[in-house]
Amino acid sequence: MTARADEHESLRAEVREWIGRNHPGDPGWKLPQSALEVADDRQFGWLRDWQRKLYDAGWVGSEWPSEYGGGGKPRGTQRIVDQELARGRAPFLLNLVGLSWAGPVILRYGTEAQKRRFIRPLLRCDEIWCQGFSEPGAGSDLASLRTRAVRAGSDWLIDGHKVWTTLGRYADWCILLARTDESAVKHAGISYFLAPMKVAGVEVQPLVKMTGEGGFNQVIWSDARIPGDALIGREGQGWEIAMATLQFERGAAEGSAGGQFVGGPGEQVADLARLARSFERDGRPALADPVVRDRLTQFWIEETALRANAARARVPGLVADRPEALPLQSKLASSEHGQALADFACELEGAGAALWIGDPNAPANAEWQRSYLNSFATTIAGGTSEILRNILGERVLGLPKTR
Amino acid sequence: MNAPIRYDEEHALLRSEARRWLEERFPIARVRALAESDTGEDPADWKELAALGWLGLCVPEKFGGAGLGAVHLSVLMEETGRRLLPCPLLASTLAALALAQSGSESQREQWLRPLVAGELRVALATATEAVWGGERADAFVARLGDRFALVPARAAGARVEREVVLDRTRRSARLTLDGVEPESGAFLPASAQEVLTRLTPWACVALAAEMAGGADALLALTSAYAATREQFGKPIGSFQAVKHPLVNVLIGVEGLRSLVYAAATALDAGDPDAETLARMAKAKACDVYVFAASRAVQLHGGFGFTLDCDAHLYLKRAQTTRPAFGDAMHQRRWLAEKLLGPAP
Repeated sequence: MTARADEHESLRAEVREWIGRNHPGDPGWKLPQSALEVADDRQFGWLRDWQRKLYDAGWVGSEWPSEYGGGGKPRGTQRIVDQELARGRAPFLLNLVGLSWAGPVILRYGTEAQKRRFIRPLLRCDEIWCQGFSEPGAGSDLASLRTRAVRAGSDWLIDGHKVWTTLGRYADWCILLARTDESAVKHAGISYFLAPMKVAGVEVQPLVKMTGEGGFNQVIWSDARIPGDALIGREGQGWEIAMATLQFERGAAEGSAGGQFVGGPGEQVADLARLARSFERDGRPALADPVVRDRLTQFWIEETALRANAARARVPGLVADRPEALPLQSKLASSEHGQALADFACELEGAGAALWIGDPNAPANAEWQRSYLNSFATTIAGGTSEILRNILGERVLGLPKTR
Repeated sequence: MNAPIRYDEEHALLRSEARRWLEERFPIARVRALAESDTGEDPADWKELAALGWLGLCVPEKFGGAGLGAVHLSVLMEETGRRLLPCPLLASTLAALALAQSGSESQREQWLRPLVAGELRVALATATEAVWGGERADAFVARLGDRFALVPARAAGARVEREVVLDRTRRSARLTLDGVEPESGAFLPASAQEVLTRLTPWACVALAAEMAGGADALLALTSAYAATREQFGKPIGSFQAVKHPLVNVLIGVEGLRSLVYAAATALDAGDPDAETLARMAKAKACDVYVFAASRAVQLHGGFGFTLDCDAHLYLKRAQTTRPAFGDAMHQRRWLAEKLLGPAP
């Protein structure tokens, strides 16, 4: 074993041991499945405390520069930490938008002052972040957004309507896209702001997901005044920074501070196999049904292929022909796989899948149905599967643009 | 199955050398000409393959080979698959692997050197698989009951007949062994089952790699066509009905290549998961290659239906490679036992 592999193994053991000692266990009430449906203060507080504890132990932002609050550890550390968190079935990290999108963007495009101001509180969950990109009229066609930012002395006045705002209710800050130049062509007139949420003129209204849960929101900005230094990058550079943000969001660019382990490959198929053991079909265990066995095996192969993709993405010689293919398809492939798998789980549950949370006979308190419904967030947010197929076709296969 | 994939400069060098040589030597017009020819191949090519050292890529050095592993083999197979290599290199490689893995010391000494040098052509005859390269083989590693034996093509009772095949870039023969009684020294010491147990993961990886190369070539072929062919005043590749299926092929090919190299790395490392990964790779290869080929024909439209379009060459290769060492259904049944326990 090389010295580096040795170090990795001892780190892995250390993280595993730490999780074993510090896993908060089951709180005894319903936890959200992801940051998208944090709906009440009890859930919020519990999850904030968990992230803070992890940060204080050095397992959040472990590779980020120490002068801003990161751990300053070598590359590869966070991946091992995240793998162990997934393996240990640890709760997810609450400050998703901060850790995985806003933080990496600030580190890449922010001024020294912005880095010093924002990184540590974001890692420690002292300040919560949300994202203000999508609008009712600007979803897949994001560049048609209409929210405006107008100069008012040294400040900006923001006016517009944003939707799909995860954690909006709890957020202190928002990565916000707004049009600063009405006369410029579509993409060129957009700027990117690190906007405070707790100011006059910002109204957060809950949206209810098809699961019946709250947790994501729409935000109405009515001449909300934010300071001049809320701009990140140059005026008009917003589209470029937004595209970089989406690369982080899709997992196409490395740089997350951690917690990117929801639905880690391998765990899901094992869960599915357990499910097949506990259900009957036509009077015998589902696991005895050859069709069920074949479907399960197909999911296992796909999951292994997704994991092998991650391993191959780290080998430059094996991605030389199409360097962009693996990063650009990663969210697309894993979200569609996860969705198909959750759907199959519901099918396996048979009539039980008709029972919803709260019914004593709902299998696993309807976790799989909830997962399946929630999985559409992954195939829609951060670029729909349809938009991602356009991007892959054009950027990787060299096909002409769809118009 | 989280292990890193091994791939270094040596592998990259073999790839660039193989790709360049195969591109120069086997332009599609020549592949087509050979497919139309009587025997389907040119003996000069075989000499070249021997000179390049590719006939003995995975044969131990002490028997004249290069002594390289499954990652090297995958690279070479992927590149030959891209060009539909009309030479029984894969058949010879499988026979060489069976001998190298399961032959006695004296059998390996006697047979592997001339095989590697290209002086003696050996094909594998498992009794259930097509005997690729059989017509011009000098000898067979042939299954007789529960053993494999080295059987010369001219042995009394051995009959070799050319088969009429769908994929004319890969020829096969019917081998009948009627009353053939090899001397005891001709039998491989291991049982037939043991021979196949050792060989199967390697065969699965080699086949999956070749299929990945073919599927990748189809992706390039069809994408290039879709980018230039115009209907309704636009290149058809600008339509999502064409673009999105091609991206589905891309996603399939990417996952397949990852499985191939993960499996090959595991084989070289003696990893206990190697056979599982190899069979997964083969299962996925069957689905991905046939899908890629069917989309290639379909998206070439009216032209795709004709003999002039190259898509059908790959479609036939995909269809006929699928059953070798087990198709996707077969592999998944094996994998299901591994994951879920024995079938009831």
